[in-house]
Amino acid sequence: MSPTTSEDLERWGSAATWSSGAELTPVQTLLWRAERHPVQSSTTTVVIDLDRAPDWQRFVAATEWGTRLVRRLRQRVVDPVVPTAPPTWADDPTFDLRYHLRRERVAGRDEVLAEAAQVALRPFDRSRPLWEGVLLEDTDGGASYVLKIHHALADPLGTVQLLSMLQSGRRAHTPRKPLGDEDAAPAEVDPVDLAVAGLRGDASVLAGSAWGAARSLLSTRPSTVVASGLRYGASVRRLLTQAAPPSPELAPRTGRSWAFLTLDAPLEPLRTVARRSGATLDDVAVALVLGGLRRYHERRGSDVREVPVGVRVSLSRADDLGNRFAGAVISGPTAIEDPVDRVAAVRGEVLSLHTERALEVLDAAAPLLNRMPSFVGASALRVAAPPDAFVLTLPGPPKRRYMAGAQVRGTYVLGPLPGSALTVVLTTLGDTACLGVNVDASAVADLAALRASLEEAVGEMVAAGR
Amino acid sequence: MSGLSTAAREAIDAIEAGPQGPEVGAFFDLDGTLVAGYTAATFYGDRLKGREVSPAEFLRTVVTAVDGELGGDPTRIAHVAFSAMRGESEEAFADLGERLFRAKIAGTIRRESRALVAAHQRAGHTVAVASAATAYQIAPVARDLGVEHLICTRLVVEDGQFTGETDGPMLWGRHKASGVRAFAREHGVDLAESYAYGNGYEDVAFLSSVGHPTALNPHRDLRAAAARLGWPVLDLADPVGGSLVAAGRTVAALAGMNAGVGAGLAYGLLRGDRSEARNTAVKLATHLPMAIAGVSVDVLHRERLWTHRPAIFVANHQSALDIPVLGQLLERDFTIVAKKEARWDPRTFVGSVVIDPAWIDRSDSASARATLDGVVDRIRGGTSLMIFPEGTRSATPVLGPFRKGAFHLAAQAGVPVVPVVLRNTGELMRRSSLVLNPGVVDVCVLEPETDWSADDMDDRIAALRQKFQDTLARWPQ
Repeated sequence: MSPTTSEDLERWGSAATWSSGAELTPVQTLLWRAERHPVQSSTTTVVIDLDRAPDWQRFVAATEWGTRLVRRLRQRVVDPVVPTAPPTWADDPTFDLRYHLRRERVAGRDEVLAEAAQVALRPFDRSRPLWEGVLLEDTDGGASYVLKIHHALADPLGTVQLLSMLQSGRRAHTPRKPLGDEDAAPAEVDPVDLAVAGLRGDASVLAGSAWGAARSLLSTRPSTVVASGLRYGASVRRLLTQAAPPSPELAPRTGRSWAFLTLDAPLEPLRTVARRSGATLDDVAVALVLGGLRRYHERRGSDVREVPVGVRVSLSRADDLGNRFAGAVISGPTAIEDPVDRVAAVRGEVLSLHTERALEVLDAAAPLLNRMPSFVGASALRVAAPPDAFVLTLPGPPKRRYMAGAQVRGTYVLGPLPGSALTVVLTTLGDTACLGVNVDASAVADLAALRASLEEAVGEMVAAGR
Repeated sequence: MSGLSTAAREAIDAIEAGPQGPEVGAFFDLDGTLVAGYTAATFYGDRLKGREVSPAEFLRTVVTAVDGELGGDPTRIAHVAFSAMRGESEEAFADLGERLFRAKIAGTIRRESRALVAAHQRAGHTVAVASAATAYQIAPVARDLGVEHLICTRLVVEDGQFTGETDGPMLWGRHKASGVRAFAREHGVDLAESYAYGNGYEDVAFLSSVGHPTALNPHRDLRAAAARLGWPVLDLADPVGGSLVAAGRTVAALAGMNAGVGAGLAYGLLRGDRSEARNTAVKLATHLPMAIAGVSVDVLHRERLWTHRPAIFVANHQSALDIPVLGQLLERDFTIVAKKEARWDPRTFVGSVVIDPAWIDRSDSASARATLDGVVDRIRGGTSLMIFPEGTRSATPVLGPFRKGAFHLAAQAGVPVVPVVLRNTGELMRRSSLVLNPGVVDVCVLEPETDWSADDMDDRIAALRQKFQDTLARWPQ
């Protein structure tokens, strides 16, 4: 067996164990219950460019295999009748691959992106497994696979991980592929039982935690409790209010009309810029988007010196791509012309967030909010004014991969638009940075100008790293 | 109290082991980093004392400050203060800065921060103070530390008066960081090789601009961030403040000093020996009060105090404590030169009876010379002389220029000069403070220097002053 194949087997083995917890996490639950499509949905759409149209039969068979390997792809979310317990994953006895996977013909790149945006904007059937794939076969022989995944199934990072695990390292077919545990009994879950069990669990847990809280309150001095409460409150307030005001040029935002853009950049120069500023690739991506927004504002004759940008902050170690993240909003400097200087400024803003004790506020609040009617959770998510842009970086596969015999040319992740004018996701693929940009078409008056601005910003950043 | 802490020592060793030269920058925050506490509070306290603050302005200031603490815009408090300064004269404010520096702020400079600055200066680094404060707060501190560059908030001045506006943003948080980056570009400083020191949560962006950030005595939130980011944390000792207990002990010490003088004189006079009476009085008058105040002395090369007598002892001068310390060291058969005006000063009267100083009239040069002739005779007769060549006490441990008088006397009398370096007396008893804090005074007696003559005097004085400076910078172990 060739080394590539054994590498594949190893990866597929880990795909089989991917995301096996039965219950949704508190944050997932919050997002699930707060969902209002499309404005507050958390759908991730991935556009995968392929060098040729794969054989359809082989593509269907591979997907069939993938859904058997990763059981979550054949499961649906079951909500308890009253929200006393988190929703649970359960096997969908009526799973039908034909509902989730189809193919269409398109003419050209623009149509691919337009079609992908349409797929992304269609709401999910929440009673079925939460994914949908469309193979778009281009008339010129190429193809793109558009995969839409709900946040409860996988966040953007998970989506890229999952895809990267399921793809193959070689073009040829691998005949004997592993499968997950077949004998795991398909769990039947009843919404009423779920609610009752949750209530029972709550009673004992709440009693215990109330006792614990009372004891810790009694053993601490009241002034200490008040002081630390005030400090926490101050931190929450800073996090929610101290970013720059939203740009008037990126309004009004309805979130109901999406437009997708994709851009490519060589990865090495971007990494060089990061090294020079003591920054991460994430900081470079944010500074790059700010460079694009700077140009867009200039083109529109608008003088905005900083815009609020939503970033992801690692909670474990600042420099690692750790597992724990918090979202936060920074004031992104658009006025700084020098790209390297802009990266350093972004770096400083992001690191400054580490002094905020309330950085994990959403994680901390989610379990409590889920005990309340869903609109409370939804408004909690809206308390913070949404930033003008969200920027996210995802590590993709280090080498080129194949899907059913077609080589992956690019992987563009188009994230949701929770109130922002654009969401930009940089995904690494081998030596390339693939930028997926989801634009609120009602907020961006001149889409072509935005595209040109972002392209120039990519060129500028790449030049700075050469 | 004595020496540098291990952590400070290690930080300095790392600076010495690292790259040298002006392309390496060292950026120091002011408030809470170079000095303990807030200089702005000192300025505002002065305004309050002078009743220049209306009740409405006071209320607005307090509300803004509390709001800043509770997550509001923390720079608004400064803007409230700046706009209150509209119409004030810049010159008067700069003078106020100098006055407050001497009276209050000088005493809050951390000794170990000073040592860090000095270490960077020895390495030839480009040292700058980077602070949201104004130049009026920073300049005296920077000058005292020998720091040339200020990266700070600038106030707009028109016709010598403040307009209440700032020139550019207040250098707080991100703006301080970009100020530092701009400075680095302008001065050819390589930020990746540079150092920065700060203490507040707003300093993260500033600290992350350099390759070697240090959280110095950080506030709670910066401490947490430093732990997460893997930045070194350095906790330096604060200058000793006067406590009530220390004040009580000082009163007791003064009483002990007078009792010691009285007892010593009585004892000597009973034995009919004036000189013995003086020596006993000096001994009791110096040992007793220092023991009461909890001050002990740690002397390097004590033997050099005795190998060359009579001699002229020269020491650096920071504190009223220097005199009892030197009295305790020299023990017997010595006197001092003092200004004639001080002869009838009630505070020094008792001391002058004991020590019998050589009074010198600075206003009358003929008389001054005559006094000095008398002094030379006394020296030849076996009485050593103690002189502070800086003339006056310095506000900080920075060495002032040396006057020549002491060295002329050494040449005329043909006796050696014994240099005595005092450290941290100024911290145990601040200039213009009457409170003596307990602690250890470090003393280093340098090699006695003989054969003084007028020919090469200037060079030798300069060389000797350099020896003082080197000893203060790198205390011998």
